[in-house]
Amino acid sequence: MRAVGMILAGGNSFRMRELSNKRAIAAMPIAGSFRSIDFALSSMSNSNIQKVAVLTQYNSRSLNQHLSSSKWWDFGRKQGGLFVFPPMVTSDNDFWYRGTADAIHQNLDFLKECHEPYVVIASGDGIYKLDYAKVLEYHIEKKADITVVCKDVPASEDVTRFGILQMNEESRIVQFDEKPMAASSHTVSCGIYVIRRRQLIELIEKSVEEGRHDFVKDVLIRYKDVKRIFGYKMKEYWSNIASVESYYQTNMDFLKKEVRDYFFREYPDVHSKVDDNPPAKYNPGSMVKNSLVANGSIINGYVENSVIFKKVFVGEGCVIKNSIVLNDVYLGDNVYLENCIVESRDTIRANSRYTGEDGIKIVVESNERYVL
Amino acid sequence: MIAMLLAGGQGSRLGVLTSKVAKPAVAFGGKYRIIDFPLSNCINSGIDTVGVLTQYQPLRLNTHIGIGIPWDLDRNVGGVTVLPPYEKVGKTEWYTGTANAIYQNLAYMESYNPDYVLILSGDHIYKMDYEVMLDFHKAHNADVSIAVMPVPQEEASRFGIVVADEDGKITEFQEKPKEPKSNLASMGIYIFSWPALKEALISLSEQSNCDFGKHVIPYCHEKGETLVAYEYNGYWKDVGTLGSYWEANMELIDIIPEFNLYEEFWKIYTTNDILPPQFVSADSVIERSLIGDGSEIYGEVYNSIIGCGVVVEKGAVVRDSIIMQNAVIGEGAVVEKGIIAENAVIGKGAQIGIGEELPNKVKPSVYAFGLAVIGEKAVIPENVRIGKNTAVTGVTVPEDYPNGVLESGETLDKAGDVQ
Repeated sequence: MRAVGMILAGGNSFRMRELSNKRAIAAMPIAGSFRSIDFALSSMSNSNIQKVAVLTQYNSRSLNQHLSSSKWWDFGRKQGGLFVFPPMVTSDNDFWYRGTADAIHQNLDFLKECHEPYVVIASGDGIYKLDYAKVLEYHIEKKADITVVCKDVPASEDVTRFGILQMNEESRIVQFDEKPMAASSHTVSCGIYVIRRRQLIELIEKSVEEGRHDFVKDVLIRYKDVKRIFGYKMKEYWSNIASVESYYQTNMDFLKKEVRDYFFREYPDVHSKVDDNPPAKYNPGSMVKNSLVANGSIINGYVENSVIFKKVFVGEGCVIKNSIVLNDVYLGDNVYLENCIVESRDTIRANSRYTGEDGIKIVVESNERYVL
Repeated sequence: MIAMLLAGGQGSRLGVLTSKVAKPAVAFGGKYRIIDFPLSNCINSGIDTVGVLTQYQPLRLNTHIGIGIPWDLDRNVGGVTVLPPYEKVGKTEWYTGTANAIYQNLAYMESYNPDYVLILSGDHIYKMDYEVMLDFHKAHNADVSIAVMPVPQEEASRFGIVVADEDGKITEFQEKPKEPKSNLASMGIYIFSWPALKEALISLSEQSNCDFGKHVIPYCHEKGETLVAYEYNGYWKDVGTLGSYWEANMELIDIIPEFNLYEEFWKIYTTNDILPPQFVSADSVIERSLIGDGSEIYGEVYNSIIGCGVVVEKGAVVRDSIIMQNAVIGEGAVVEKGIIAENAVIGKGAQIGIGEELPNKVKPSVYAFGLAVIGEKAVIPENVRIGKNTAVTGVTVPEDYPNGVLESGETLDKAGDVQ
């Protein structure tokens, strides 16, 4: 592959509420067995990108734990590899990453030492499968300076948390608004860009010199009329999970057969870190309806329209509806959950009741668990 | 200490389950293969050098082991090495017996210059700390330690029995004795001090079908070396027959099984080819079952072990059965007390495991226990009925079933797997 990958995974969002207290968005668990960044990493690996840098900052430990080995995504080769770059203090820098462009700037040496002519930049909070090689082909065919992957979303969806763009008939981007108050179109940027490496280095150096630190505002939007910036429309499934509502909805999407088949049964596979849990166990009294259950879980109660992540224990008499229970949660007997997301590694006391009345309730009890 | 794991046996009593794979590579417990248990025991006991001796149908076993990544046995020094029989100058032979196989790999063991060698077999389900056994071996200044476990006195005549004094020192061996003098059965797990093993193997190199239980251990005993019995009291299950294989699987379903896979301590590792969670549809029923990753359940499952990537379609009923990886149970099909091997496809409305129990006509001792066994990649046509104590392999068509029925005790072998 003629490109290196860069995944911007340092961000935080107030839209994630309590869920971002202990992890980076890119480390959010998805669909029972995965984490958000797996989708970008797997797409890179499946597109034969061999060298990938992940830029981390906010709550980076959670992500580092997940990226403990590059072997899960088949990186870790002699040519290439998976690199994790948190901000670092050097003789000429003592800042955190002040923005996406600055994050790239602080790791410009990495880019300068690469020999691949192109760079694929992706974010860690998108759920999709994409062959970046096709985007690169398109980029070359259009003689573009920058190609932005974008997606048409239904008019009903609130798109004001995205970058909104408009293209002319030859797909060149003519209008680009970042998180506008009112959206002028329903084509949103997926946060995936293809750009020539030399061009990127030049643009980033210039921007940071001028004290501009954001890739979207200070590069894409600022250079929109000067450089040839094109949009590549993605037709397949794509979802961004950086708000509680969309995170919930994305997980629930996996209850649909066509979404599951697309991600899990069609080529190529999505890879993730392996946990070595036993198969899920259904004890007498368990009843599960239209739900996903991940490995290592033990079910004793009633589960409906829910996603049960790894190593969850559901006690007797529990009723769980329309909820997401994250990894390693212990639900005591007779717990009632409806429209909830239960934060991972928690222990929920027996007979607790939680209902998300208008919207999704995030359940955090932070009880100690005593293991015999 | 290094370990030598004997994984070359066919396991003919598992019938069509082992017609294409060696017994250690047979699926177990939803996502594991039998060899995962001794391999995980090794790494959990701190043994990071393991030679796996293969001979019979090694392809699945080799792909499963690879370079040992799932068990952390991909090491710079040591790690896992697959040891097949090989051609030599002069006398070339297959592995003719357990000890002969080890003898042919003296050079492998010598290259690590071990103090002790652990001999294991790849066909038991158990969790055991070999390091504790090694401590016992050292404490007794033994040349050979044999792991033994108490069995009911009335069953003792089926095993190799070890008679030991109160210190654990072995005084006598009885191979399947009519009148057993003790109830300690050998588990086929040995620790040898390297000089003792090397000497015995070289001395017995001309012995045909050289076997540990029959030749090496008696030789060491006669020579006056110190043999001790290490008593083990945990869960240990031989899965040598279809009946015991089925039973050991079913035992995992108990609410708190004696052999618990859910303990954090002493994890069992395996390759994870399939990662996604399982989907359970709105009209499905699952009771008392283990279900592997990536499976999709639209029908009913009771008391069963379902492997990874299995599809149980709408209206299908699976009861008291073992369904292995990627098998498909068609709409409305019924499987009762069946073992469905990997990638098998059961047609719509087929009924498996029905009727009365009659002994199998071809191999009554293998296909017994009332089980219906469907071989890997077998295809069962729609709406046929298959009885108990049966075996089916290969792609079958409706014409293979007179009146749409395969009676109890019959064998339908389209893949040529039953000799």
